[in-house]
Amino acid sequence: MRERHGDCKMKKIYIQEEYCIGCRLCEIYCQVKHSKSKKIIKAFKEEMIDILPRVLVEEIGYNSFAIQCRHCSDAPCVEACISGAMQKNKNTGVVTCDEDKCVGCWSCIMVCPYGVIRRNLSGKKIASKCDLCIDEEIPVCVQNCPNEALKFMDKDAKEKNPVGTKTGRKNEK
Amino acid sequence: MALELKQSEFEIERDKNKCISCEVCVRQCSNDVHEYDSDQDTLYSDNSKCVGCRRCETLCPTGALKIRNREDQFKTNYNWTSSHLSNIYRQADSGGVLLTGMGSDRAHTVYWDHILFNAAQVTNPSIDPLREPMEIRTFIGRKPERLDFEINRNKDSKESLKDTNIKLKTKVPPQLDLSTPIMFSAMSYGSVSLNVCKSLAAAASEFGTYYNTGEGGLHKDLYGYAKNTIVQVASGRYGVDVDYLNKGAAVEIKIGQGAKPGIGGHLPGEKVTGDISNTRMIPEGTDAISPAPHHDIYSIEDLAQLIYALKEATNWLKPVGVKVSAVHNIAPIASGIVRAGADFVTIDGLRGGTGAAPQIIRDNVGIPIELAIASVDERLREEGIRYRSSIIAAGSIRSSADVIKAIALGADAVYIGTAALVAIGCHLCQKCYTGKCNWGIATQDPYLTKRLNPEIGTRKLLNLLRGWSLEIKEMLGGAGINAIESLKSNREHLRGINLNDRELAVLGIKHAGEAW
Amino acid sequence: MKSKNDNRKNNKMFKDNETIDYLIIGNSAAGLAAAESIRELDKSGEIMILTGENYLNYSKPMITYFLSGTVNLDMIHFKDDKFYKDNRLDVRLNTRVKSIDTDKMFLITDDGNRYEFRKLLIASGGRPIVPKIKAIGTKSSGFIDGTNYDKTEGIFTLTNLEDAVRVKNYIEKNGIKNISILGGGLIGLKAAEAFLEKGIDVNIIELADRILAATFDREASGIIEKKLKSTGSNIYMNNTIEEIHIGSGKITGYKLKDGEKMECRLLVIAVGVNPDTGFISSGSLDMARGIIVDDHMRTSAKNIYAAGDVVEGPDMISGGKRNIAIWPLAVRQGTAAGLNMAGGNKKYGGGFFMNSVELLGIPSISMGITNVAEEKEGFEVLKYLNTNQDMYRKVIIKNNRIIGVILVNNIERAGIYSGLIRNEIDISSVKENISREDFGIIHLPADYKKHLVVGEGIEV
Ligand SMILES: Cc1cc2nc3c(=O)[nH]c(=O)nc-3n(C[C@H](O)[C@H](O)[C@H](O)COP(=O)(O)OP(=O)(O)OC[C@H]3O[C@@H](n4cnc5c(N)ncnc54)[C@H](O)[C@@H]3O)c2cc1C
Ligand code: SF4
Ligand code: SF4
Ligand code: SF4
Ligand code: SF4
Repeated sequence: MRERHGDCKMKKIYIQEEYCIGCRLCEIYCQVKHSKSKKIIKAFKEEMIDILPRVLVEEIGYNSFAIQCRHCSDAPCVEACISGAMQKNKNTGVVTCDEDKCVGCWSCIMVCPYGVIRRNLSGKKIASKCDLCIDEEIPVCVQNCPNEALKFMDKDAKEKNPVGTKTGRKNEK
Repeated sequence: MALELKQSEFEIERDKNKCISCEVCVRQCSNDVHEYDSDQDTLYSDNSKCVGCRRCETLCPTGALKIRNREDQFKTNYNWTSSHLSNIYRQADSGGVLLTGMGSDRAHTVYWDHILFNAAQVTNPSIDPLREPMEIRTFIGRKPERLDFEINRNKDSKESLKDTNIKLKTKVPPQLDLSTPIMFSAMSYGSVSLNVCKSLAAAASEFGTYYNTGEGGLHKDLYGYAKNTIVQVASGRYGVDVDYLNKGAAVEIKIGQGAKPGIGGHLPGEKVTGDISNTRMIPEGTDAISPAPHHDIYSIEDLAQLIYALKEATNWLKPVGVKVSAVHNIAPIASGIVRAGADFVTIDGLRGGTGAAPQIIRDNVGIPIELAIASVDERLREEGIRYRSSIIAAGSIRSSADVIKAIALGADAVYIGTAALVAIGCHLCQKCYTGKCNWGIATQDPYLTKRLNPEIGTRKLLNLLRGWSLEIKEMLGGAGINAIESLKSNREHLRGINLNDRELAVLGIKHAGEAW
Repeated sequence: MKSKNDNRKNNKMFKDNETIDYLIIGNSAAGLAAAESIRELDKSGEIMILTGENYLNYSKPMITYFLSGTVNLDMIHFKDDKFYKDNRLDVRLNTRVKSIDTDKMFLITDDGNRYEFRKLLIASGGRPIVPKIKAIGTKSSGFIDGTNYDKTEGIFTLTNLEDAVRVKNYIEKNGIKNISILGGGLIGLKAAEAFLEKGIDVNIIELADRILAATFDREASGIIEKKLKSTGSNIYMNNTIEEIHIGSGKITGYKLKDGEKMECRLLVIAVGVNPDTGFISSGSLDMARGIIVDDHMRTSAKNIYAAGDVVEGPDMISGGKRNIAIWPLAVRQGTAAGLNMAGGNKKYGGGFFMNSVELLGIPSISMGITNVAEEKEGFEVLKYLNTNQDMYRKVIIKNNRIIGVILVNNIERAGIYSGLIRNEIDISSVKENISREDFGIIHLPADYKKHLVVGEGIEV
């Protein structure tokens, strides 16, 4: 279980657009993660109809990136939700949709500037969105991105720029 | 159009029970091998287009794909091998020179695999590199013939050493200072992607060693790594001006390359776009032709002129070296180069890599690097000029054992090219020349170059350097040696196995089982 | 942030104990968002909420979901008991405000109690409009209007939970199989959808020449009308009820403007909502249709704020002030008001109309100005219509900024448009893609795209 903390320390998924290769493994593993069996072959061969990926890969030519809920501090979807289903957890900062409460009014879809909420129509209408795989150490889309086009880190780490490519050399006099 | 007689080299097996039609393979194969049929919800693969790079197999999330070599493309024949047949079929269709990429894959003897390294037992103790100092730092450049010191002793003092002031009087020529005897060999921006260059440069810089620009000039994104850059001057002189020369820590004149001795290079005009044309300093769309010889070098004297011109241009602050391929007369050639004033000689062996070379040349011209190192080192020692130049060995160094053997044979350091590319994903499909490298390495297609995230590339290269350096220290320690300098040309630490007397003589080593 | 009120709070013992730090009229979207925000900044101040209703809280937009049976009375709350406890909110049900003294800072409720306050938020929402209609068969006035419509059995408005409960009971008790709805706007149609889901036929009477006239254009309305008609519903356009027929205290039918006479046992009047400002004496606050507020949700009176459906606040698109009665803006305004009441400094930033409604399985979203004539100068309209799939997409552009959007059937990623409107993004470089069916972030202008992809998410 991930450490719980407020928004500024919250670990979020950052997108490195220039390294997304459009393979869509993030989508595939997100589907598996949110399947009943959590087994890739079974999920795809038998349970597929129910599962929407919660991360979306957009692609035109060689430009591509995967985007999922940004877990906004000032989340417009929470503001717009008429049923109280869409909530931002005060401890973890994660924005989730309580599927029991959701009535499928699509107010959240109307306001999310990232367009990352989708309609799940497989059963009762509900809004489907990224839950940051809260029970995983690292969200599965990040775990399975072969090129680290998705990174999971807090804001401090992001600002420090974790790239290990310092210029200049170590044993310089 | 007549039927093509060449057979598929690979067979693609798709396990229908595992394939989930996610189409990752479709998206990943730049050779359009896989295709999804939505009517049948099935994927089909066209074996004939597959180059065996294993990209799809590696990324398939369910392990449904297997790429298999087709051993039985043609009826087995010891003399007329499949490769001969398919080459003839290809040529009968194209009428051209057959191109290939990477180093030769023919069954020439790999001498590394016939040489064994020594270890210390009883009579001299082995050393634990984790507990005791172990020096693998290496300097590349001309060394002084002898060292003169200025010694000022305070005459009144009893304690002689404490009050003695010792100063080096000899002026030491410029040196490259390597934290490990391994550098990244010349791979030009153009033959490989900028992300590859960035990975190499960043790793070299972080680890304290050097990478080589190759003959494609220096992209401005790499300026930050200047201190760890060796800039190359080749026959096309692409991207060479005085700024470029001074951006590097050393200059390397490229005469030849192991994979294609005596052959120039050719980057077709359609690949000379935007950034590449800027970096090479030639107009967009023009063919970048590197002539076979330098048109101003027809003798050792001409070479000397260029060496001194470059030293002059860089204010005598940087080592200037020469790279040649290992050919039959390599020893006298190297001697000439040293006498022409080179601070280091790079020798690239028969199995050296390339982005594109005529297959017939790659597989049949030149000599293995092991023999070249031994004979060059021997010759320079005989002539008493070994100190004047460092020897850098290149051409298929595959492991730290190869490194240590190269040094024991007489090299100062090695260049790794293919090994570095393998570390960042290359699967040796040898289709570099097509520009469709699925691993994002030997390509400029932005769809493919994205596949190498230089952050990851850098990390992997650093790990490789770290791993090999540790292994080198372990092997040195095991042999009871605590500085790599002591191993240089120390061929007593090597023994041959399964080699004949001539080979042993050229290598200058004893056969396994022969003691001192 | 340290609130000024904290300091004052320390001196509380010297002050009149009955003066409430934060008094809020309205226990709904705006009121509760404000209460939560006040608590964020002021951990100790006293917060009291007054509501004229008898429910702890419920989501108004969900009352039609209650009608259709999608949610029951337990599920209709958008905040639970814990919310009141955690935020220490003193909520008074059935407590209707009668009048406010804005100078002396107290108010009087229907039950005669007096509440003094230091800060007041008016978030009383809206109340339904009931037009004056000739009535035949009443004993009294001969007219039905806002003051007496509920005296006749079978005539309802539908803007609060009480209404919905009564309608539901009435249907069940009387076995109603056919309902007439006066008004083809959003509330009317949401009600229609709920009734249709329960297998009840509907007749919709609309004054304009099409339904959803305020938020849709002709094409979009057409798609919904077609679908409605296919369910056997009747839509009477360019029409209204001229007289209502009443027998023994119950509605029995009505006559349309075009003369047609209809039988009717249940009529829902859904012709619109007005800000609920009845308890505010004229002159005490600046008002137009609603209470006028500035960008910090302040009214013209000191220490009095207003938010939600009751206000006329800054409108992003026109630049002026407008009453935009939608839930997301009520929450946003409430949040801003609450923070400002507790000593913060939060701009509301303006809003624009938007609505999402799914009718008969056709989802649709409209936002901003949706109804400009194409020929009108300065506007540019981009459309995508797929008649086979009833797929429609329309984008209205002015000065290279999107000012309105209609999406029918394919509403995926609609929010990207609202982001473009809110951030006033110049879309001239990407116009050719803007009404594509698969429109996404990747089509956006480079800078804005980068902002979205590389950024953190929406920050406070
Ligand atoms: C049927 C229906 C469907 C709707 N659907 C949608 C939708 O899908 N999407 C959307 O965005 N919006 C929708 N709306 C609009 C949305 O409900 C409002 O924008 C939102 O409820 C406004 O919140 P508010 O807090 O301003 O006021 P309200 O929700 O109207 O709440 C007003 C509060 O004030 C109290 N009050 C009023 N007068 C007094 C008084 N004198 N004394 C004490 N208390 C008082 C009331 O009891 C209530 O608690 C819908 C509205 C209706 C009626
Ligand atoms: S897994 Fe990574 S590289 Fe592949 S599509 Fe997703 S983000 Fe892009
Ligand atoms: S769904 Fe959209 S609006 Fe909601 S938190 Fe995520 S990114 Fe923000
Ligand atoms: S974090 Fe988890 S839920 Fe969110 S997109 Fe990634 S895999 Fe899906
Ligand atoms: S060429 Fe490479 S990616 Fe394409 S099918 Fe063959 S092995 Fe797979």
